[in-house]
Amino acid sequence: MAARRNAPLLRALRAACACVGASLTSAPTVRAQTATTTAAAADTTDQLGIALDAEEKGELKRAATAYRAVLQRALVPGGGEGDRIALSLLGLERIWAETGARDSIVPVVQRVLAIRPTDPVARGIQLRSLMSLGRDEDARLAFISWRRAVGGDGAPFREYARLLLAAGRAQAADSILGEAGRLLGAAGMIAGEVAQLHVALGRWSAAAVSFRDALSNQPYLESAAMFALQRAPAPARDSIRTVLIAAPISLLPRRLLSSLELAWGEPRRAWTALSTVSVDDSTAAAWRDFAERAEFAQAWPVARDVWMSVLERRGDLEAQRHAAQAALNAGDAVAALDLATRAPGARQRDLAAVRVRALLPIEIAALGELGRAKEAQARLDASASMLDEPSRAAMTRPLVSAWLRSGDLTRARAAVEGTDLADDDETAGWLALYEGDLAAARKHLVRADTKRAELVDALGLLARTRATESTGLGQAFMALAQRDSATASARFVALADSLGEAAPALLSLASRIEAAKSRPVAEGKTPVALTAMTLWDRIIASYPKSPEAPEALLASARALRDAGSVPAAVTRFESLLVDYPESALLPQARRDLERLRGQVPPDNRFQS
Amino acid sequence: MSLRGTRSWRVGIAAVAMVFASGVAAQAQNLLVPMDDSQRNHLKAYGVAYLALKTGQKAEWLLNYRGGSFLLPDAPDLRRRAALDGVSVEPISDGAVASARAEIAGANMDVVVLERAPKIAIYRPANQPPWDDAVTLALTYAGIDFTSVWDDDVMRGDLSKYDWVHLHHEDFTGQFNKLFLAYRDAPWFVAQRERDIAMAKKFGLPDVPALKKAVADNIRGFVDRGGFLFAMCGATESLDLAIAAFAVDIAGPFSDGTPPAPDADARMVWSRTLAFTGAHIEPSPYINALSDIDGHQVNVPARRQPLGTFSLFDFSAKLDPVATMLVQNHRTVVPDFYGVTTSFNRAVLKPSVTVLAAEDGAPWTKYVHGDYGKGSWTFLGGHDPEDAQHAIGSPPTDLSLRPNSSGYRLILNNVLFPAAKKKPRKT
Repeated sequence: MAARRNAPLLRALRAACACVGASLTSAPTVRAQTATTTAAAADTTDQLGIALDAEEKGELKRAATAYRAVLQRALVPGGGEGDRIALSLLGLERIWAETGARDSIVPVVQRVLAIRPTDPVARGIQLRSLMSLGRDEDARLAFISWRRAVGGDGAPFREYARLLLAAGRAQAADSILGEAGRLLGAAGMIAGEVAQLHVALGRWSAAAVSFRDALSNQPYLESAAMFALQRAPAPARDSIRTVLIAAPISLLPRRLLSSLELAWGEPRRAWTALSTVSVDDSTAAAWRDFAERAEFAQAWPVARDVWMSVLERRGDLEAQRHAAQAALNAGDAVAALDLATRAPGARQRDLAAVRVRALLPIEIAALGELGRAKEAQARLDASASMLDEPSRAAMTRPLVSAWLRSGDLTRARAAVEGTDLADDDETAGWLALYEGDLAAARKHLVRADTKRAELVDALGLLARTRATESTGLGQAFMALAQRDSATASARFVALADSLGEAAPALLSLASRIEAAKSRPVAEGKTPVALTAMTLWDRIIASYPKSPEAPEALLASARALRDAGSVPAAVTRFESLLVDYPESALLPQARRDLERLRGQVPPDNRFQS
Repeated sequence: MSLRGTRSWRVGIAAVAMVFASGVAAQAQNLLVPMDDSQRNHLKAYGVAYLALKTGQKAEWLLNYRGGSFLLPDAPDLRRRAALDGVSVEPISDGAVASARAEIAGANMDVVVLERAPKIAIYRPANQPPWDDAVTLALTYAGIDFTSVWDDDVMRGDLSKYDWVHLHHEDFTGQFNKLFLAYRDAPWFVAQRERDIAMAKKFGLPDVPALKKAVADNIRGFVDRGGFLFAMCGATESLDLAIAAFAVDIAGPFSDGTPPAPDADARMVWSRTLAFTGAHIEPSPYINALSDIDGHQVNVPARRQPLGTFSLFDFSAKLDPVATMLVQNHRTVVPDFYGVTTSFNRAVLKPSVTVLAAEDGAPWTKYVHGDYGKGSWTFLGGHDPEDAQHAIGSPPTDLSLRPNSSGYRLILNNVLFPAAKKKPRKT
């Protein structure tokens, strides 16, 4: 089992071992001069291979014997190099740790150190072993011995402090690092360990300072800094920001801060940290990397801004396409259209056809969002010669959406005809629904591949009525497709009287549309959408036994809470808990109520 | 009809018959709050029982009956509270109660009448969020009322206003749990130190150790006069050390400017303490332990012992109702958890102490109880039953995710214990 676990490591070691062997056999001059040594080394290399093989197969006893043989020969004067000593020591350490004989490594390492007192691998193994055996005093003496052997090297301090920190002995690590600072002067070489110490002690500002120092000559610590500082509680984050954003501005601390901000759920701040770094190739690469992460986090407005900055500095088609798509996803169709139709920069040498295939789908979709379906159709027709069949097919869906957005159901249906979309259940279902053919809509939409929120809403409503036709319902959904939420909401409410069995579902859908109109104002409060509240109250009063009633109670309680009307919110949460004991919404309501009463920790205690 | 169908019909008819026989819902006279595995929220169940007492209603604690259930009147306010809190209740008739009483009479069970809601005080600084103190967490979550008291309240003698006082991880030796070396620059540590120094000055005391000793002695007096004391974590050990050290300096130089008295061990007056005797004081400021009372010594790596589990002892409910109340639980084995003081070495426990829970085969105990003067005390080692490795800065425990915590039940047993009508102890 252990051998299997270590398999990748062992494979890498075997490769390294082969390299050692190869280098020996490819150096004829040296080989001629030291034939005996080479023979011994080659033999040692074989033994090392045997040891690694045996370890991989789980034959630990045989592996230990082979490693010892390698070590024995390597320690003979002229018998080998540090590589083989290190590999055999590390092998023995692994094997004896697996077999519960960790203490066996200690005398072996002592023998190595008698011959090679500055060997960093042997010293490190000695410290690790003594610490893990609980021989703290011996470990301390070993540290002192190492420190004396290597003079002004920071390695002993770094290794010992790291082990102490891992053992939870922050105070002892503090002393060691303090001593290192005094003896070695500049703390640069141990800045990483000092930073980790500060993290362990919750000194976040000091940790940020140390990491910033460390990054100047150990840039590989960036990931470690990210993972360490990410854990900072919300109240401590401003102090970290202050340290990392301070002058002089340089890429590494800013990139670290931007990663932290993204991890803390602050993409806009993340971009602010990075955007003011002077632009060179490294910065541009960092921006691209950040833009991709912003896309992954679906922070579309930020992604748009970053890609626009990249586009302004570099002007390539990829940046233009990403910027336009991000703008579209952010709901900014005007900017998306502007970006998609922007003339190529001086550096862009892409073929017109390539540009069209990259940008036209975004342009069509943006025009659709803006209700300019005729222009979309014209653009598509004008570029037809540059589009192959797959590209043209890919643009049918945005074109259909464009016609629907402009309210032209006939042109939308015409755009579908003759294309693959004609066989698409979701498209056919929506078109049927808009036309008021509920039977066909029901049949197609239930087979749709996606489960987008609006599709679930539609299916939910269709499941609540036995009607096969309803022009009014089609018009209401059509209004939604046209982003005319006021008309849609009014039509759903009006239909509640004619489609009686679906009345609570219709009112519920209307209430969700109305509630979505509310936006936060001062102090994070969101005013209650009065129309939504009226609809919720109507559901609760008129249809108390419908599944929408507890839903309306929960939604209205949350709306009241968000508006700062806590007592009224509590009343509604309580009403849901007491009057609907079988509702699936109970756990949510209870948790919200507990949070309002301060009985459980607030959600955002460790978030910004 | 298939065989399966026939059987399900029979079960259905039987269930309907039982409903009529027991006269549930509208006709029930009692609410049984089961505390076995059928209970959905054990912790909030204590809050429902507390509400009954608070509103002057009758409540009975059925010791060892279905995990230590509560029998309450079938009142609308209690039903409502149970529904709000997600607490399982079973409406039962007087007849069903009578048969339960018969079962209780014939087994190691008993009925304890709970008389009134105890007045509860928690020793903690004002305006401190509840997230770092297991008792405050438990009471807040269960909806049980309490008042926060701090040094000035204790020094003014305000403890006499309460039935029950809780202490958590306060260091009554005034050494700030020896966190000086690691956290001397941490803002929260600096603020805590300045606050305590100002408080000492306010009462004309020279330093923080002197202040905390005076506070500890007031708490001792509260128990002596008939109060109930529940302490957890470091407060258990440090309270007794402070009480025993009333005439000797045991504090390190970082807290009072002078080293501990070299003969501190010999000058400790253990006859004054609640639980411990003959402990050895740890004089080194570099060793993060106050004494050898704690068996686990979590903050001293070379001495740290691993966590195991502890078993709750089974007492005779009829002969020893107090100890039985304190160990009511739906589990008998509970996972251990670290704290500034995690456990109590048997070697330093006074002979009169009742051990309520301990780790099998270990030289330490976890949960102990005893009488002192006219009052009584209970000590539970460890910081947070649901965060075994809790460290400074750890995220708060969200009890809504652990509504069936057996460890937290031990805390809440202590809350209701002072409400019990006193019965003479028979052993």
